[in-house]
Amino acid sequence: MNIIEIRNLTKYYGKARGIVDVSFDVGAGEVFGFIGPNGAGKSTTIRTLLSLIRPTSGSAAIFGKDCITHAPEIAKDIGYLPSEVFYYDKMKVIDLLRYSASFYKKDCSKRIKELAERMDLDLKRRIDDLSFGNKKKVGIVQCLLHEPRLIILDEPTSGLDPLMQQTFFDLLREENRKGSTILLSSHVLIEVQRICSRVAIIKDGRIIRTEKMSELTENNYKKIRIETGRITDDSRFDLPGVSHLERKDALLSFFFKGNINLIMKRISEVEISNVWIEEPTLEEVFLHYYQKGEERA
Amino acid sequence: MNIFLREMKANLTSLFFWSLGMLFMIIGGMAKFATYVNSGQSITDLISQIPATLRAVLGFGDFDLTKASGFYGMLYLYLLLMTTIHAAMLGSNIIAKEERDKTTEFLMVKPMSRSRILTAKLAAGLANIALLNLVTMALSISIVGQYSTGEAITGDILILMAGMFILQVVFLFLGAGISAVSRDPKISASIATTVLLGAYLISVAVDMSSSLNALRYLTPFKYFEAAPLMATGGFDVISVMLSLGIIIVSGFATYYFYNRRDLCV
Repeated sequence: MNIIEIRNLTKYYGKARGIVDVSFDVGAGEVFGFIGPNGAGKSTTIRTLLSLIRPTSGSAAIFGKDCITHAPEIAKDIGYLPSEVFYYDKMKVIDLLRYSASFYKKDCSKRIKELAERMDLDLKRRIDDLSFGNKKKVGIVQCLLHEPRLIILDEPTSGLDPLMQQTFFDLLREENRKGSTILLSSHVLIEVQRICSRVAIIKDGRIIRTEKMSELTENNYKKIRIETGRITDDSRFDLPGVSHLERKDALLSFFFKGNINLIMKRISEVEISNVWIEEPTLEEVFLHYYQKGEERA
Repeated sequence: MNIFLREMKANLTSLFFWSLGMLFMIIGGMAKFATYVNSGQSITDLISQIPATLRAVLGFGDFDLTKASGFYGMLYLYLLLMTTIHAAMLGSNIIAKEERDKTTEFLMVKPMSRSRILTAKLAAGLANIALLNLVTMALSISIVGQYSTGEAITGDILILMAGMFILQVVFLFLGAGISAVSRDPKISASIATTVLLGAYLISVAVDMSSSLNALRYLTPFKYFEAAPLMATGGFDVISVMLSLGIIIVSGFATYYFYNRRDLCV
């Protein structure tokens, strides 16, 4: 059964493009990634799902119910973490969380304590005294305290330090094992790679493709840069799997896809002063997709 | 209920300071009455020489300012102005603040329909203006009572406060309606107070020139004026109907537009 079903969803803000003809499904128990550069339409899609904004055309259903007409009913089982968290400044963290819990007809006090402990969050502080990262933690607790069946996260890790990100992802995995479905939007590929089983890629308001994470990582390009002491013969790096080979003074850069050991051996043959092996940015992944599209055509 | 309580708590400080404002206004106003009465006939003569237009602007009207009730009738206009500004701003802010403070993505994704959220907020707004009205009433009766030598004024005050309450509700709903329609939460309170001041200026203009009398039903400030209320002890039916009309129309607009539009996030 599908938890989220989006059909030809289109949203224009006046004449400005929000999203165009977006369609995808998220199955029960999936951890679904939604990636695209900033301004691609991730938040617009999510806000339409949450009925904060009304679609221009198309429809979306959550738990099999239309997400505009049945919004309050659906919301009982949704936890939402917005990309930027804002709360009532004068409230204490615990009061805010209790206020949030009061909308769901169950006792969440034990769960609040548990989550706050996990996220290392001081419940007695006032919201306006909190740092950005700590506000985000309040958002995370607030999102999970009623044990929702569907967790929607919009750029969840911004502002969290790496250690907290780890804890947070662990928490999400636990929720997922307990049966929650997760929709996670991000502009950082690696973040999505860490946890998602399937992804939809959105660019300029349109879904470019939806595929399994494993398929996406099969095409896992590494971005490699080498700084050489003196300029060497670059042709030795012109192997199958290497693309975009470029030299700029002492810096040689290229993309590599294939057996990583092969390229490491080649690198070791040269006298180098520095090396960077990086994940390609989302834009670079897109570049790859566009090229592939052209080749096919 | 949780939203209602939350709004009551959030507006408590503001309500306290508005009440304090009413206290100073009534004490200050009635203290002037004391010096006024003591100075005897001379000031009455002086005021009667002020041109009628200027008297209208100052809100003096044709009250018998040597009586506490007459003086309070003049003061009432200022109390009315204060409580309606409070109501218009409250009505507008109570709706717009979620969007202004960007808490929309917290509150509006909760399992509660926009209509129910509006109802809770409007109920809290009504409770707040009712409390301010009761405070004003209690202060008026106790303070004006100090100056009314044997004159029965409680009845006058009660009818004035009833009229004031209707106007407060009118402006609460007008403010809420403006916020529900407006796409910019930062300016909706200013629009609401501008509408209010515009209505007030029309009422002053009507006072200044009888040729503008046709405009009197255009401004709620003409619906419940102190002089006719105190003279007849009852409301003008048309005024009450018009007030109800404004309340119903803006109430309907509030729900209709807020349920349909995109929320600012």
